[in-house]
Amino acid sequence: MWRMSTSAGARHTGSRLEISNLSKKFGGFTAVDDLTFTVEPGRVTGFLGPNGAGKTTTLRMLLGLVNPTSGSATIGGRRYRDLDNPLGTVGAALEATNFHPGRSGRNHLRVMAAAAGLPNSRVDELLDLVGIPAAAKKRAGGYSMGMRQRLGLAAALLGDPEVLILDEPANGLDPEGIRWLRGFLTHLAGEGRTVLVSSHMLTEVQQTADEVVIIANGRMVRSGTVAELQGTPRAFVRTSDPDTLVGALRVADVTAETTEGGLLVETDDLRVVGDVALRAGLPIWELTRKAADLEQLFFDLTDGTNRNYTGAPAGDPGGPAPAERDAITGQEGANL
Amino acid sequence: MINAVKSELRKFFTTRLWWGMAIGIFVAAALFAALFALSYTSEGMGGAGGPGGMEGGEVQIANSVYTSGLGIGYLLLLTIGVMQIGSEYRHKTITGTFLSTPRRVQAIGAKIIALLVLGAVYGLISLVGSVAVGAPILAMNDFSPFPDIEVLRSLALALLALGLWALIGFGVGVLIPNQVAALLVGIGFAWIVEPLLGFGLSFWEFGREHLVKYFPSQATNAMVDTVTMAGPNAPENLSWWAAALVLLAWAAVLAGLGALRATRQDVA
Repeated sequence: MWRMSTSAGARHTGSRLEISNLSKKFGGFTAVDDLTFTVEPGRVTGFLGPNGAGKTTTLRMLLGLVNPTSGSATIGGRRYRDLDNPLGTVGAALEATNFHPGRSGRNHLRVMAAAAGLPNSRVDELLDLVGIPAAAKKRAGGYSMGMRQRLGLAAALLGDPEVLILDEPANGLDPEGIRWLRGFLTHLAGEGRTVLVSSHMLTEVQQTADEVVIIANGRMVRSGTVAELQGTPRAFVRTSDPDTLVGALRVADVTAETTEGGLLVETDDLRVVGDVALRAGLPIWELTRKAADLEQLFFDLTDGTNRNYTGAPAGDPGGPAPAERDAITGQEGANL
Repeated sequence: MINAVKSELRKFFTTRLWWGMAIGIFVAAALFAALFALSYTSEGMGGAGGPGGMEGGEVQIANSVYTSGLGIGYLLLLTIGVMQIGSEYRHKTITGTFLSTPRRVQAIGAKIIALLVLGAVYGLISLVGSVAVGAPILAMNDFSPFPDIEVLRSLALALLALGLWALIGFGVGVLIPNQVAALLVGIGFAWIVEPLLGFGLSFWEFGREHLVKYFPSQATNAMVDTVTMAGPNAPENLSWWAAALVLLAWAAVLAGLGALRATRQDVA
């Protein structure tokens, strides 16, 4: 369905998003703290952080909904409020709950279309595109979470924008919907648009995002490509005499360390490990490439600093339940 | 700006509120017009200074009949004004509004224009109801249904009055972001507190002469130049144009404070 082009297949010149030294204080609470990063066109950028890290506040400042305490956030060099054609420049889906329950989804889009000077026919095009043309004629109060997400996405795409900003778009989508969304986002970025997707789970966006920006407590923790984040994969090998293999590898200029049940070797070339073991006359029981555990990495990067949880018992393995709605966790294989 | 106003009007006409309000305002106007027309034309109410403690000529009687539904009408427009912003806060659709029209002055200006338009639309619905019912009753009882061009002035001012009440509602709706609280405070004040306060103050000479006439409901009635209470404690009324200015001032202050706040606030 998403192959239906949103804009007759035109190539887009997406705009660069620039967040520089952005801060927001709510009273004595610093929600966003001197944040600086850029988002490039033609790629999907994941904007990550635990619940309460300041993602939504940052996006709202970028969209002119929240006034920054200091710093700036611009789209193609201009503030959102200064854009001549806001819906034609930026499409945003912030929360899947922002609909009047008594208004149909179609009329919701028509209200927006009127403000942007777009014809009603554009509304029906979008409803076809996101796959809810019939259901959208009913009042929004009865919509499922998945329908709300699709309606939100239709609203974001209404003006055929250069930039897409989506806040937790996978929440409430079933695995099929998430797969659809993943393809859709990649397709949109492929058209040259700028796509920024927030999420509170790194693993959720790792298949889609080209770049990631990770924040915690309103501060930048790490940014780069997913591959950079994972680092060079290492080889894991199990053999009969690990210490002998470490020595043999050292001779071959490869460092290795023993770990539970085997060795972790600092190379992603499995052949090197196999050849060395053969020369040393050691049997190989297992030899695999081992990437960094992104979930663990994300947890390490953002852990122990979550302001929302202060006061909770330390070391609680499950951790307190996140305050935000959180439909995606626990859905194995439902990654974005 | 035209697009933003169109969007606001579409927002209003795409929920069920609008026709419920339309029916309410039409029925109220027709019923009150019938009631007033019958009571004024009944015995003993022949013209100015008649018994029953009322004063007013044929013009005032016609005005009273045609605008008798105004008391319900402005409460409904107050409600519409509160809800045009209050439901946006409640359902968080204000985010979409400011995303579509990010220049806040423009977005709020569009709301204000749309509410004035709605005031006029509902005013017309109300007048259709009251004139259709009131004029035949007046005519049947040998009262002139349109004694003077002044009646038309009152009808036109009734449309303005409803628009201004919608703006008062808008101001209340922004200043009290909880929609239910805003409705209770707005309607409670206009419907209960103000009449009681006016009644209380009418026993105090200064209050009677200098305060009560500036109350929004009192000014609304003076604007359309209706039959008034007679008697020693009756509050003085402003002339129609002064009353219009007073109501305009109420609307300007409340909607102005609301606009000031709405253009600056964070939408989180």
